[in-house]
Amino acid sequence: MSANTSIVMPGERVTSVEDVAKGKRIILGPGLRRVDDKVVASKAGPLRHKEPNTFWVDSYQRRYVPARGDLIIGIVKARAGDMYRVDIGSADTASISYLAFEAATKKNRPDLNPGDLLYARVLNANADIEPELVCVNSNGKHGKLGVLQDGFFFKCSLNLGRLLLRDSCPALAAIKDELPYEIAVGVNGRIWVKAHSTRETVGLANAIMTLEHAGYAEIDKICGNLGSVLQA
Amino acid sequence: MFMNSNLFEPGKSKSERTFVQSAVKQNIRFDGRKSNEFRDVKLTFGADWGTVALSMGDTKVLAQVSCDIGTPSSARGNEGTLHLNVDIKGVAFLDEVQATHDQRQLTLNSLLERTFRSSRCLDLESLCIATEQHVWCVRVDINVLNHDGNLYDASTIAALAALMHFRRPDVSFIEDEIRTYSERERELMPLLFLHYPVSVTYCVYKSSTQPLVDPTLLEENAADSIIVLSFNSYQELCTLNAGGTAPTNVRTIMQCAHGAARRSKALVQFIRKALELDAERREQPMQVFGLMDLLNETAPKLSFKYLMEEEAEVDHTPDRARVIEQKSDVEPMQLEEPVPQAQMQTPKKILAETTEDDIAWLPQEQPVDEATPTAAKPGKAKPNRAKNKGGKKQQSQTTKKQNDSDSEEEVTQIL
Repeated sequence: MSANTSIVMPGERVTSVEDVAKGKRIILGPGLRRVDDKVVASKAGPLRHKEPNTFWVDSYQRRYVPARGDLIIGIVKARAGDMYRVDIGSADTASISYLAFEAATKKNRPDLNPGDLLYARVLNANADIEPELVCVNSNGKHGKLGVLQDGFFFKCSLNLGRLLLRDSCPALAAIKDELPYEIAVGVNGRIWVKAHSTRETVGLANAIMTLEHAGYAEIDKICGNLGSVLQA
Repeated sequence: MFMNSNLFEPGKSKSERTFVQSAVKQNIRFDGRKSNEFRDVKLTFGADWGTVALSMGDTKVLAQVSCDIGTPSSARGNEGTLHLNVDIKGVAFLDEVQATHDQRQLTLNSLLERTFRSSRCLDLESLCIATEQHVWCVRVDINVLNHDGNLYDASTIAALAALMHFRRPDVSFIEDEIRTYSERERELMPLLFLHYPVSVTYCVYKSSTQPLVDPTLLEENAADSIIVLSFNSYQELCTLNAGGTAPTNVRTIMQCAHGAARRSKALVQFIRKALELDAERREQPMQVFGLMDLLNETAPKLSFKYLMEEEAEVDHTPDRARVIEQKSDVEPMQLEEPVPQAQMQTPKKILAETTEDDIAWLPQEQPVDEATPTAAKPGKAKPNRAKNKGGKKQQSQTTKKQNDSDSEEEVTQIL
């Protein structure tokens, strides 16, 4: 990920990407669009680049648009036939089948109630069909997916979720030095945290929320102070 | 920050609610406050009379008072009208909350109606121009700009501050003709008050006996029941709104009432102080801030913590003040009662603090306000109001004068 950040606006022609495209095949991520032989931005935000050839716009957003394979946190809303309705922050509520849990059968149903938190993977995401979730991988094991017990949960911008999830994020490592904790980050802008005591969890949640308005550049600076936030 | 900062409403999942319950049990709040600690209240007055922006933490409210001449209702031909309107549409959460939103607006409206109209805090008779023909219709519009809990307090404080800030033009009614004087011809007139009510909100949880004051939205949504108490500056109860599922005993409610009465008094004092400062600022030309400044937050803010801290140091050490001035600044704190300055209660708190923990204050509370808070309904406030009415003619035009005498009255009562 390159450090140079040029801000693009919707409708702006992004010549820097076009230049790269002349030499090799490139991948346009969210926020960039190809119009004839030009590359045009469709969202406002800093232009990001990942080696070798991926470009996208890191726009500030809170509304989640489901995409296949995303790991998300959802709130169970209701039971509906052999499905649960799950709120994942998208325009439409998602659904998850009773059978999409490890070792679940028609007789042995998972016990979920409205208000429960689910860490799940998006199986299907289509503009015309409601998104479908699963809590098992292709081997039928739950892995890290499933119901999240206890802990605290809060909603944030999608950017904060992405920020924490990127490979080289210093924040989680910085907190790790202060206290042991568990965290689940959904790319739909929802974060679940759990530490040993209530007080620690509160501090942890507050520490992560302070990162909300941090850019990639400031985050290192803030991470230095996270210890003091946790103390408070 | 005048934008809806949390697009998704917190407190909707089970884990949030159980977590808040367990945090309350251990006396932990997310913003590090104590259970009886309030967020700082900040007031900003606009260029127009009766425009007030208020922020309490992330909760932001804009109140605007306007008036015009209309006809009175047939039942009360000699009284002006007061109309209150809350608009919560500025806050649009993205989750499915439309139903709760409408509900919220209704409760908020009814609370304001009861706090300001049913308690008859404005002297509506003074708004009469010609009986059964022409009266002033005062309208308060409250716009919720951001909702982070405790809209009740935010809107009542904003409404009261706006009403107190408001000036209406003078009119004369001669030979069946109304003449409205412009600001240049005659000075604008402030509204006349009989008393000054504000509300204080408490959240009660099943897991804890200690109610939380001034809840954030998360705390509010996780609460089992919410108690809203409106007190006026004479510490008379104007409105009590208690609902929800948590069993609350008399003791808890009395404890809340006790705290709320003190808080209301401090708040009204704060509003008066803020108004004074605003009046001072208006003396200087080019110092008036418009709506844009208000929303951009370039206008100066009058903070409760800041103003009342001064209050605690200056006003309530009347005799000692001169002596102390020669000594160091630390001295007044020590001489004064050991109030944690951050908590910002009026020094009256100290009188109560000694008796707060035991049940003893329950009956003792009465002498302060001639009627027990629970029993006091708007009608019971007569002694004070009569006093106020009588004095009105002398105090005629300047509110400031009226304010002074009010506080004197209160002081004598308490002592």
